[in-house]
Amino acid sequence: MNIPPGWSWLGQFLLYVAAGLLVIWLLVTGYRALARFLGGRPGLVRPLAIAGGVLAVVGALLPWVTFPLNDGPYPDLATLQFFDAPFAVTGFRLFTLITGVAAIALSFVPRIPVRRVLRALGLGLAGVALVNTIFPLIDGGGFGAITAADGAFAFGGIVTLVASLVLFFVSKAGDLEPLPRWNTKVPRLVAYAALLVSFLVLLFAVARLLNSGSDSGGGSTTYSGPIFLSLLVFFAGLFGALHAIGFAGWLSAVSDDHKLFSVLVLLLAALALPFTEAGTDYWMTIAANIGVYAATAIGLNIVVGLAGLLDLGYVAFLGIGAFVAANLSGAAAAEFHIHLPFVVAALVSATVAGVFGAIVGSPTLRVRGDYLAIVTLAFGEIFKKAAQNNIGGLTGGANAIPGVPPISWFGASFDESFTIGGVQLPSGVLYYVLIIVLVSVVMLVFANLKNSRIGRAWIAIREDEDAARAMGIKTGQAKILAFLIGATLAGLAGSVFAHKTSTVAYDSFQFPESVTLLAAVILGGMGTIPGAVIGASLLLILPEKLRDFSDYRLLLFGLALVLIMRFRPQGIVPDRHRRAELAGEAEGGVPIEELNVPDSPQGATR
Amino acid sequence: MSAPATKAPVLVANEVSMVFGGLTALSNVSLQLGEGQILGLIGPNGAGKTTFFNCLTGLYTPTTGSVQLRGRVLPHDPASVTVAGVARTFQNIRLFPSMTSLENVLVGRHARMSQGPLASLFHGPAYRRGEADARTRALELLEFVGLAKVHDELARNLPYGDQRRLEIARALATDPSVLLLDEPTAGMNPQETEATRQLIFAIRETGVAVVVIEHDTKFIFSLCDHVSVLVQGQLLVEGAPEVVRDDPRVIEAYLGKPPDEVEAEVRQYTEEAGPDTQVKDTGGNQ
Amino acid sequence: MATLLQQLTSGLVLGALIALIALGYTMVYGIIQLINFAHGEVFMVSVFGALATYKWFIPQSWQGTWQIALPCMLVGAVLVAVVLAVLMERFAYRPLRNAPRLAPLITALGVSVMLKEFVRNFFPGATAAVSVPRAFVDKAITFAVPGGTVVIQSTGILLVVVSIIGAVLLQTYITRSRMGRAMRATAQDPDTARLMGVDPNRTIVLTFVIGGALAGLAAVLYGIHINTVDTEAGFLNGIFAFTAAVLGGVGSIKGAVIGGFTIGVIKTMAGQYFPGGTEYDLVWIFVLLIVVLVFRPQGLFGEPERVRA
Ligand SMILES: Nc1ncnc2c1ncn2[C@@H]1O[C@H](COP(=O)(O)OP(=O)(O)OP(=O)(O)O)[C@@H](O)[C@H]1O
Ligand SMILES: [Mg+2]
Repeated sequence: MNIPPGWSWLGQFLLYVAAGLLVIWLLVTGYRALARFLGGRPGLVRPLAIAGGVLAVVGALLPWVTFPLNDGPYPDLATLQFFDAPFAVTGFRLFTLITGVAAIALSFVPRIPVRRVLRALGLGLAGVALVNTIFPLIDGGGFGAITAADGAFAFGGIVTLVASLVLFFVSKAGDLEPLPRWNTKVPRLVAYAALLVSFLVLLFAVARLLNSGSDSGGGSTTYSGPIFLSLLVFFAGLFGALHAIGFAGWLSAVSDDHKLFSVLVLLLAALALPFTEAGTDYWMTIAANIGVYAATAIGLNIVVGLAGLLDLGYVAFLGIGAFVAANLSGAAAAEFHIHLPFVVAALVSATVAGVFGAIVGSPTLRVRGDYLAIVTLAFGEIFKKAAQNNIGGLTGGANAIPGVPPISWFGASFDESFTIGGVQLPSGVLYYVLIIVLVSVVMLVFANLKNSRIGRAWIAIREDEDAARAMGIKTGQAKILAFLIGATLAGLAGSVFAHKTSTVAYDSFQFPESVTLLAAVILGGMGTIPGAVIGASLLLILPEKLRDFSDYRLLLFGLALVLIMRFRPQGIVPDRHRRAELAGEAEGGVPIEELNVPDSPQGATR
Repeated sequence: MSAPATKAPVLVANEVSMVFGGLTALSNVSLQLGEGQILGLIGPNGAGKTTFFNCLTGLYTPTTGSVQLRGRVLPHDPASVTVAGVARTFQNIRLFPSMTSLENVLVGRHARMSQGPLASLFHGPAYRRGEADARTRALELLEFVGLAKVHDELARNLPYGDQRRLEIARALATDPSVLLLDEPTAGMNPQETEATRQLIFAIRETGVAVVVIEHDTKFIFSLCDHVSVLVQGQLLVEGAPEVVRDDPRVIEAYLGKPPDEVEAEVRQYTEEAGPDTQVKDTGGNQ
Repeated sequence: MATLLQQLTSGLVLGALIALIALGYTMVYGIIQLINFAHGEVFMVSVFGALATYKWFIPQSWQGTWQIALPCMLVGAVLVAVVLAVLMERFAYRPLRNAPRLAPLITALGVSVMLKEFVRNFFPGATAAVSVPRAFVDKAITFAVPGGTVVIQSTGILLVVVSIIGAVLLQTYITRSRMGRAMRATAQDPDTARLMGVDPNRTIVLTFVIGGALAGLAAVLYGIHINTVDTEAGFLNGIFAFTAAVLGGVGSIKGAVIGGFTIGVIKTMAGQYFPGGTEYDLVWIFVLLIVVLVFRPQGLFGEPERVRA
């Protein structure tokens, strides 16, 4: 009798797990020991910084891969051929080189928080090194890619990784400096100039990021993933450094002081995106999708982030809006053969979705907390089932409603490309503009509501429902209102979605989409205004760039939800209060205890 | 001070009873609160004091009995009760922890503001005026309770005593005619307790009648015009502080040494031994 | 008449399955007030665990002998479910014990997405439905009733019997044993329980273990009864089970069982007799859920939630 194969797999698996745990244990112990050793030696800052910087420069100049990968040479001369063209240091090796030189230089600059800055740069560099080591490992068929071939050994990645660790450990030598606070009382012109320049830089950074590793049409290539990720972590490192020197905090304070101007510049920057290198058909489509999701996520943010009511079937409202708009668009497959002007159709869609929102929200009058999550999930499933079965002939069922005509105003069809001042703009640019307007409006709605009597009532309900009632808040009404408004916004987004995609099918509105929306809200930061937009952008751009991992998209996504809740429940953009609080402390992971909303803050027992 | 509520009481509780399953937490408790009066409500743990407040504020629907504010029967809905003019604080502080002090008080203004969803959406001139007025009033109240300096702090970061005072400010923001304070000095040091005493006097000066639950009898007797003693859900004694203090039944049932049969005293005893080691709200539950 | 009885029997069998899963939900919710969304996926994963045990862990010569194969699958499935449940509790939920309520709920959602995607990606062939072999005597009992016959699979009988016995044992355990008392104490008031010498962490882990074991049990029975499994099995059955738990009153074992049977029967009945047929059977379940929650938020056998003040 031979032994079934499962046992040896299991054995191997357990072996790997054990090895993994051992490695983790070693790393943690090593980290602690090293941190303790460095703790009392502030004098090591400069030597460490220089050592790390030199290593990084060396790492940049060494080969990273020993042979061309399956899909052609790894970009940016990572392979041995680099030595044929030593001066063409581009791509991630350029980032490595820049980081290294910067580290050396910064260690000589007086009066900056070197530890903080180098910690940020070190982490960014670690990201660059890991991405560009792991990718060839996976794509190039294992360790062969970085080990011996042609008698050479490609330790660029390893050296860079060591360099990044050395830079990181600079922050452990002695105490971390306090976060510098810049004077925010600056002349108006200076403030305006700073904001303008910063947002312009941001615009170009985003455009570069979007187009990194793209082919000429803006689409993805095999190498898009690592190139994009390298740039992303490099930018993240740079941003961390800017934060460390106090610039980011200063800029956000200044933009708070000059809100109107910042908003205008940001809006203009967004509208200028089609004129940059990211102004391709491809990115306009993605951007429009992001906008639709972002607008919907902001609506959801009212329900979840402000009122604290978990909705797990939220995408249904987007779907309702889309189906209503499709039916009123004059599409041949639609049930009603009427063609309303887009604005009217959009308003009808929003209203219908809002009514459904109020209906879905009405059990909140009686159902508390978690049960509501299930009820909303149930409504989401009911919607899906109804749409799948072409209820009342309104959804087209499995056939969907195809042929929804593009929006067309004054004879200009929104899906065509056109030319302004000699610049040929990509097709879909009008949708892009429309969606920017939509998102702006939705953001404005959110911001205004949040800072109003209603918004405070929602937050009070989120924090403590009984106390809210004791303050005279009619909690039932307020909660239904949250659902109503949130759903209205989603419906509005749905109407644009219908025209943009031209085919409205039930399977765009299922449970995973609801989870995506929720994730966008959480990732960005619950209850914050830019949060949902940033969250939606990340969640839609990453899959575009990481096509190779598309099978694992949802897996990573679930993992991300778990990790965010564990380590950064306030999301990428913490709420205003959180930020105020963080300004004093060291940045980084906030212990979860701080975010508690305990029943009795001080645990009074009597 | 002002005489017991013989003429025109603000708040009247008629024979309020509250039964939880088999447990009678309150039986036929009647109480009158006069205009400008400070009424103390004392009694051992589990006597039903908090339950009584919950019945007054509509958080619980009393099994029998009713509550009237200036002759109008109060509904069993906390929000409406607050709108009608009865505000409260909680025994376990129930602030909105991640809102600032100012925002907490602004939430208290909710019922006295009138902006609807549309106004909140468009932020028109009338809306802004209302918002500015509310802010002014909230800041005044923070000043009044001595928290003006920390108006921008998150409630959860305030020290304990400040949290209790913030809760009072938040309750006052609802423009109440009656304020119910559930153990407002619990966990405070002597200075803070004294400050709270002065604060309650000051609140009375503004024309608000106050009911205070406290275990600190010295505090109660030096503060109140009228004291009611609740034991095991029943009103045992009521009257002027001096009278109540000297009443043998009170001494026996509440202040005295633990006699043998009454369970309540045992609990009072354990409380003196150390409130923290005591299991809360047991006893009555079986 | 025959159709009605046939649907009723199928409904009871389905209900037994739902009840077994619902017990896990109800126990975990009862003790830490967490809708453990991932519980349905734990169930689904352990169906695959049972399948894997059968395919790769027992020698081919045993696969035909159900007396050996079935216990092995059971061990495999329960092991998978329990390990998952414990890991989940330790690494995902425990760190969030004091976090705002939404946090663990969202984590549970994340875990459930992860589990499902993990199986879909890494279990060979799991991108589509996978067939589970009939590892059990493949017998059906046929009753003659007025107007036709009613068929009931032996596995169906097993399901019903096991779930009822399981619930009774569980109820006894919780009311009689020391650990059971500790569980109830922790459910009521963790702080006081701690003062009384109960280790809440241990108690909570135990709850997850029991819930997981029941899900593993359900998984094997599901596998051999339905004979096919796909990664969607967890989501819908999980939702049904949770609905059952809510219907019966979360925290109540009797409630979970009765809720499970109710849902099973309603699903088959609605599929047969209600407008829309099987396409809309789930809609009726949800309608029932919503109605129950609106009129009796604590469920049929639950205790009303205390207003804290
Ligand atoms: N919602 C409820 N359900 C069941 N029993 C309750 C409820 N609320 C209060 N009780 C019970 O009613 C009794 C009175 O409790 P209450 O909190 O009113 O006492 P108290 O006088 O405020 O005590 P303390 O001085 O400890 O605050 C207690 O036995 C308590 O357990
Ligand atoms: Mg009390």
